[in-house]
Amino acid sequence: MIARGVMLGPDQPVILHMLDIPPAAEALNGVKMELVDAAFPLLKGVVATTDAVEACTGVNVAVMVGGFPRKEGMERKDVMSKNVSIYKSQASALEKHAAANCKVLVVANPANTNALILKEFAPSIPEKNITCLTRLDHNRALGQISERLSIQVSDIKNVIIWGNHSSSQYPDVNHATVKTPAGEKPVRELVKDDTWLNAEFIKTVQQRGAAIIKARKLSSALSAASSACDHIRDWVLGTPEGTWVSMGVYSDGSYNVPAGLIYSFPVTCQNGEWKIVQGLSIDEFSRKKLDLTADELSEEKALAYSCLS
Amino acid sequence: MDHVVLLQKILVVSFIVALFWKIIRYMCNLLHVEKEPVRILVTGAAGQIGYAIVPMIARGVMLGPDQPVILHLLDIEPVAEALNGVKMELTDAAFPLLKGVIATTDPIEACMGVNIAVMVGGFPRKEGMERKDVMSKNVSIYKAQASALEKHAADDCKVLVIANPANTNALILKEFAPSIPEKNITCLTRLDHNRALGQISERLDVQVSDVKNVIIWGNHSSTQYPDVSHATVHTSRGEKPVRELVSDDKWLNDEFITTVQQRGAAIIKARKQSSALSAASAACDHIRDWVLGTPKGTWVSMGVYSDGSYGIQPGLVYSFPVTCEKGRWSIVQGLMIDEFSRAKMDATEKELVEEKSMAYSCLD
Repeated sequence: MIARGVMLGPDQPVILHMLDIPPAAEALNGVKMELVDAAFPLLKGVVATTDAVEACTGVNVAVMVGGFPRKEGMERKDVMSKNVSIYKSQASALEKHAAANCKVLVVANPANTNALILKEFAPSIPEKNITCLTRLDHNRALGQISERLSIQVSDIKNVIIWGNHSSSQYPDVNHATVKTPAGEKPVRELVKDDTWLNAEFIKTVQQRGAAIIKARKLSSALSAASSACDHIRDWVLGTPEGTWVSMGVYSDGSYNVPAGLIYSFPVTCQNGEWKIVQGLSIDEFSRKKLDLTADELSEEKALAYSCLS
Repeated sequence: MDHVVLLQKILVVSFIVALFWKIIRYMCNLLHVEKEPVRILVTGAAGQIGYAIVPMIARGVMLGPDQPVILHLLDIEPVAEALNGVKMELTDAAFPLLKGVIATTDPIEACMGVNIAVMVGGFPRKEGMERKDVMSKNVSIYKAQASALEKHAADDCKVLVIANPANTNALILKEFAPSIPEKNITCLTRLDHNRALGQISERLDVQVSDVKNVIIWGNHSSTQYPDVSHATVHTSRGEKPVRELVSDDKWLNDEFITTVQQRGAAIIKARKQSSALSAASAACDHIRDWVLGTPKGTWVSMGVYSDGSYGIQPGLVYSFPVTCEKGRWSIVQGLMIDEFSRAKMDATEKELVEEKSMAYSCLD
């Protein structure tokens, strides 16, 4: 996807730095061979390495997929301890060798907490440059609404994913709209089923990851990769007018969410910077959900630190 | 004074013309209607290549960023749940160009109204297996698929066979779907073509986009002939022949050929799985160039129904250099074939003739 220009546009040449662990070195080289075999016009070079320093040298965008994957039956917290030590060491390699203003997207679960650990141990990387992926959940929410209303997914916008990329996330459609011949209409009005929106819809989006694992016997790859490209593309090239997206970003206390967490907010992007959409009304139902996922993130933060001691 | 008046008149006229042009353009934009979606069938969609190709198709890699698509995904009953997982992920990715997904184990539903068919489904090659080992399993699959496609696909459906043995599967498909025009049934050798470009670009340390007009002749197997006799590299001093720049005919006639021929096995050795990413990408390139046309001065390699060009027996699906225009391919004629190349082209033809009789014997 990156080599085809999905991430940064069809006119932006790219050089890929691919990193993985020594046990996978041969497979990694296989990926490099396939990239050469595909003769991508935009791909100007491939560095495939097991050395974190070589991998991080001069990178402008870092997509951190590496980590211990979730398998059928595992809870996200199970993988926490394995991953926080990985992210502590990656933090230091990135900080020392990446290009200035490197944009970081953490995908590996627990995404928010891995991103937080990365931030804490790479203090010279601006905190606004460290994000985690909740665009997948955002896109999943759009998909569920499109299926429910039998409309094109490209006609729906402005759902919000609040909080943690976990089963405590809050998919919020209170400000989401659908493009109709009669103009933009609120999703709630068109769905006309608050019971579904406040219960089953939320649960479906929250647990979609597990549903994919059940069907494929493997974690989501295609949709996660695609969402990662969407996240970076909108961050770098800007969000369309009147549209926001969801990104896990360093909280500044907006919407009474504790500062110092990586929390998913609605954001717009311009000139390579994201900005939290302010002033959205939060009803009581939503408030509880926002707080619940914030609590989980605070617990994860404490758990992560205890793993590191 | 005349000059000034003339200049003024020219200025006014230019201004009016420019304004008019802008108004017309604006009106055209207002009337802009989204194109009708194209239906694309992918068989074997629950497998590795299927998984790699569907997001590419949904992003517009195959038919361009303005062409909406509807995906028809077919696979066999044992993987129905995984296939549904693929459909779920396609929904989850919220692709703007993807206007629908049909995921089914029913070949009729899968083939209904499709404009493009990418036949990935088949018995995959595993480490140690020769392509001939998978032949018998696959010919019966392709005989059955032929009849479903013939009856239910849209007119002028373009077919690309990927599953190995690709050329022979395509031939079987053609033989058992007589109402599908023979020019519409092709097999994938673009992967080998791209691999050859990649090897030259690595050898010369140039960008792969500066290398063009390699040819893959024959069978998508270890007898294929990667031919650089007419290939060129774009340099600051114009197009230069690859042979001249490489200056190592021994490498070009030997190691280079073997590397490209056996690249599939090398990928399996490294990944423990068949090529998926590069195969999916090459399939998109094949269809895109077929439908949207090849760039001027450039040809590509496609496995197509032989018409006797270059002394190759008609009635085989053989890879030739082709250019494409208005949705049609045509074999590049008149290229010089030296003795070395002639022998190679004949060897791969011989293998295809053997495969054809083996395939028919499997069907009896």
